[in-house]
Amino acid sequence: MKKRKEKGGGSGELTLAELPIGAAATVVKVAPQLRGRKKFADVGIVPGSELMMEAHAPFGGLLRVKVMESSLSLHRDDAVNILLKGSAE
Amino acid sequence: MKPLLRVALAGNPNCGKTTIFNQLTGARQHVGNYPGVTVESKSGHCSLEDMEIELIDLPGIYSLSSSSPEEEIAFRVLTSRGIDLILNVIDSSVPQRNLYLTTQLAELGIPMLLVFNVADEAEKKGLQFDFPRLERYFGADIVQTVGSRGNGIARLKESVRNMLSRPDCRCAPKLEYGPDVDDAIREISGRIDALHSAAFSHIPSRFFAIKLLEHDTSVWKLPDFDSVHTEVENQIRHLYAKHAIQADTFMADCRYAMLAGACRDAITVTRERRQEISDKIDSVMTNKVIGLPLFFLIMYAVFTFTFTCADPMIGWIESGFGALGDAVGSVWPETELPFLRALLISGVIDGVGGVIVFLPNILFLFLAIAFLEDSGYMARAAFVMDGVMRKFGLHGKSFVPLVLGFGCTVPAIMATRSIESEKDRTTTIMVLPLISCSARLPIYALIIPAFFAVRYQAFVMWLIYAVGIVMALAAARVMKSTLFKGDGEVYLMELPPYRVPTLKSVFLHMWDRCVMYLHKAGTIILVTSVILFIANTWPEKTEFRSDSASRTAQMETVRSPAGATDATAPESPESLRLARAAEAMENTLSGRIGRFLEPVFKPLGFDWRVTTAAIGALAAKEVFVSQMGILYSVGEADEESAPLRQHLRENYTPLQAFCMMIFCLLSIPCLATLAIIKRELNSWKMACCEALGLFVLAYLVTFLVYQTGTLLQIGTRLLN
Repeated sequence: MKKRKEKGGGSGELTLAELPIGAAATVVKVAPQLRGRKKFADVGIVPGSELMMEAHAPFGGLLRVKVMESSLSLHRDDAVNILLKGSAE
Repeated sequence: MKPLLRVALAGNPNCGKTTIFNQLTGARQHVGNYPGVTVESKSGHCSLEDMEIELIDLPGIYSLSSSSPEEEIAFRVLTSRGIDLILNVIDSSVPQRNLYLTTQLAELGIPMLLVFNVADEAEKKGLQFDFPRLERYFGADIVQTVGSRGNGIARLKESVRNMLSRPDCRCAPKLEYGPDVDDAIREISGRIDALHSAAFSHIPSRFFAIKLLEHDTSVWKLPDFDSVHTEVENQIRHLYAKHAIQADTFMADCRYAMLAGACRDAITVTRERRQEISDKIDSVMTNKVIGLPLFFLIMYAVFTFTFTCADPMIGWIESGFGALGDAVGSVWPETELPFLRALLISGVIDGVGGVIVFLPNILFLFLAIAFLEDSGYMARAAFVMDGVMRKFGLHGKSFVPLVLGFGCTVPAIMATRSIESEKDRTTTIMVLPLISCSARLPIYALIIPAFFAVRYQAFVMWLIYAVGIVMALAAARVMKSTLFKGDGEVYLMELPPYRVPTLKSVFLHMWDRCVMYLHKAGTIILVTSVILFIANTWPEKTEFRSDSASRTAQMETVRSPAGATDATAPESPESLRLARAAEAMENTLSGRIGRFLEPVFKPLGFDWRVTTAAIGALAAKEVFVSQMGILYSVGEADEESAPLRQHLRENYTPLQAFCMMIFCLLSIPCLATLAIIKRELNSWKMACCEALGLFVLAYLVTFLVYQTGTLLQIGTRLLN
């Protein structure tokens, strides 16, 4: 798994867990092993939607991600199953 | 009689659905639970001119699938017969996400009205809607509202009336999911139509075809559609070959793709997106460094607010019940049915009054919580606390109830409703009684100053609280790695933008909780008070060891000529009266139970008196102090009782005293807690297991402490 330091850009793939704070990227694939896939899909985490990493919670686990104008918090363990592509912005 | 029309209110969480509901129904609401689940059901009545309407507030959902109990409930209500209209509330400042649910509701073929709420924020964001186009698209009329200010409500009522007065006007929605998918849907709905299933004839087969295509469990398990399953699997295979997307997320994908197109056509953004105020607040509130300290500060402020505001009211209630007792006492002569009189005054009025006294605390606590919840802060609190709580196998949302547990376990258990994951919620409820609630405080306040020198007092107090917290967290850890193993539900929570809560919804929320609390006082506490009163007074003792009555009379005659009482005299009439009361106590039911159980509690260092008090305290912890007071016959006892402390010091060692506190800390706080556990987990079995488990834990820990202490000679003498 590649680690990316630079903000968002480029065309390399990364997981949502690796997306740096402030960066945005587009969902390309949601891995089949993601638990509660349907729940994520229902709130708009589907291929093609743009996600923006807003913040990390203190002590580990939770990420705050902007999806379609609203903020969602989800766990890092689930975020590794969401694959992104650096957005064109 | 006017026919009762049923209108269902559906929408995403945080879309302002509740404010719309409150605007339409006023205070005519009924809050309850859906049978079998902990999802709150809410309905209200609203009359529009000649129409009488029952408004059903469905839980906030993102989708009409079955990935949560809320969604299952919404599905069940909406697919049942007799829903005349759906009011779909939409946060129009984030239309795309909200319209996702609309695409599913539209397929139900029930007349629908779209309420574009939060119109003011949408305008601020520069969103412009092409309403005629959107209305054609979803086959539903649209009304714009600002629920928090009541804008557009009159128009909404008028539209509801219009829709309901011409029920046949249904315009079909024009939802297209792409040619392949539409073909598949047509194919499957054809098969469903051929079944001529009577149970769901009121809903278009198309709806079920779509649900089957996305492997929706609640439709999949309906036996009515068993025979089309093979065809569905065929279609899914066919679609997968073409699009390579898993069936369960396939329709979600299609819907969002369709919505993206619709929004592009019908919604224009005239202004650039700005950094919202909400985001600015959050850069502080959920900051990685100061987010946690800020949270603790806010919790501290909540408690200060609660106790400062409640304090004077508690005084009023106390004196109110005191006056009531006196009034009854003076109206009801002592000679008339003396047992019933005592039962009413000492049992019912004192017992229920002792619990209603805490009502102001509950009131202000829930006022503060309702404010934090409605403003959107609670979601942030869970966000910043999750990392810490997860280390103990709990959940970010478990933290607030745990903190509330220091006040009273009952509202704390009610507050666990915000935890969606059933396993996490159950674990939190089960460990909550271990957190030392304020009803145990009188026990500590009585015992600690009696047995421990001033310099140790704070430490002992801290130790007791620490034991409770450590036990709770350890129990959570153990439960999560055994009984409730597994990850539970997926953590996915929205952090809604901050909003100024409306007074009405905050007060309604507070009101609900207070009614629940009063209900508890009127039922469980009432019964307990009566039972305890009887156990403490029955059977009555008429023969006493020493003929105290005659000696009292003797002393009276001796004293009268002297004209003064010697207060230090060992046999003052007062002490004789008390000795007699103690003897009577020993003879009563609770005294006999204490005697009977004494051997069981001997290894914990308890004599029959402590045993009686500890058993009584299972009903409500405050009882321990008053019961000890009765047993040592010092009359009205409270935690400030110096004579009672003296008695305790003479009869017990500090180790025994510490064991009493540990036992009271770890056993079930009160019957009300047990009842609320039963209600919230919907199982008597769980509630009884909990009570038994806590008892065993309390017994074992106290046993260990006492035996180890005795062995090592710790605390067997008074420290000075």
